[in-house]
Amino acid sequence: MVERSPGVRARLWDGPVRIVHWLLVVLICFSWWASGDHMNWHRWSGYAVIGLVLFRIYWGFAGAGAAKFSSFVKGPKAIAAYAAKVGNREPSTTPGHNPLGAISVLAILALLLVQAGSGLFAVDVDAFEGGPFSDRVSFDLGRQIAEWHELSFRALQALVGLHIAAVLFYGLWKRTNLVGAMITGKRTFASDPGHTGAPVWRLAAGVVLAAGLAWALSKGFRF
Amino acid sequence: MAFVMSKGWALALAIGIGGAVGAGSAFAHDDKLPPNASPATKAAYARHDNFRKLGGAFKTMNDELKKGEPDKAVVATNARTVATLAGQLPTWFPRGSGVEARPMSEARPEIWRDAAGFSTAASNLQAQAIKLNQLAAAGDIDGVKGQVRNTGMTCKGCHDKYRVEKKD
Repeated sequence: MVERSPGVRARLWDGPVRIVHWLLVVLICFSWWASGDHMNWHRWSGYAVIGLVLFRIYWGFAGAGAAKFSSFVKGPKAIAAYAAKVGNREPSTTPGHNPLGAISVLAILALLLVQAGSGLFAVDVDAFEGGPFSDRVSFDLGRQIAEWHELSFRALQALVGLHIAAVLFYGLWKRTNLVGAMITGKRTFASDPGHTGAPVWRLAAGVVLAAGLAWALSKGFRF
Repeated sequence: MAFVMSKGWALALAIGIGGAVGAGSAFAHDDKLPPNASPATKAAYARHDNFRKLGGAFKTMNDELKKGEPDKAVVATNARTVATLAGQLPTWFPRGSGVEARPMSEARPEIWRDAAGFSTAASNLQAQAIKLNQLAAAGDIDGVKGQVRNTGMTCKGCHDKYRVEKKD
């Protein structure tokens, strides 16, 4: 319906947001697979995830438009108001994360930090493999952290499942294609929400900061 | 806006911390040996403690080896502990000391069903641990570094086959 109504194809997600999103998809799957018998790859994948999440948090403050936390994180009233009508069969008009989806975004980012952060200290059952900080903890504590690492991944799987279910719900029930916008960066709106971009130097600064911190963590702060 | 944002962060943080705390309580191996425990149950608990000692010694040694100038004495002491415990390992598994003796046990029934295979796996560990101990006692740090992998592989080989992947 909305596809037929007149509207404008407008900018929604900037390049950094899309790249972070899809790299996280790839790396979360890859990390899961590599956790079996490829601990070196698993560690590198984890460092990349930390870098991406740190960058995304930075971008939530230093970026612009729909990337900014202040543009989509709302209080309980706005969340309740949105939740009350989320079941309505009408296309979504929010130019970015809706107030409910914002909770999911923050929860996934926080959980990814718990996931990757616990991995830095985790110790394998064979006391052979471990994160770059595993020598700072005892075998018992490292094993405990490894178990948190495992449980936090189950929570992450649940959140990802919910995220995919929500995207399907919007596509099938509300007839709003959210996936396309995350690929092309553009979506059709009644009027252009007027998202602007952030200066390139801020992007460069964020990449350097996040990559530098992830690198330092991968070294266990030993240089 | 900052106020609104802090609510979202607080929620995300709460979810993260809640998950971590839940994980801790759900997974912790901190159940105590029950009073009047049967010998098999006692064996299951003692085994767990022994594996923690074995893992602890192996980890302390591996951590030491990662340092620029590993302390040969630390490596030797822990390698000896690993070899000693590896030698005792076959006695840690009396029949009946699996999940039936301690529900939290990660010992698979295959340990007793395939006793010959398990015995071979234990002997492999013992052989590698003896070599490790010899190299460590001789102060051959490079040799130890190479032998650590062989020893770790025998741990992993046995865990893959005779230990439950995840118990919660």
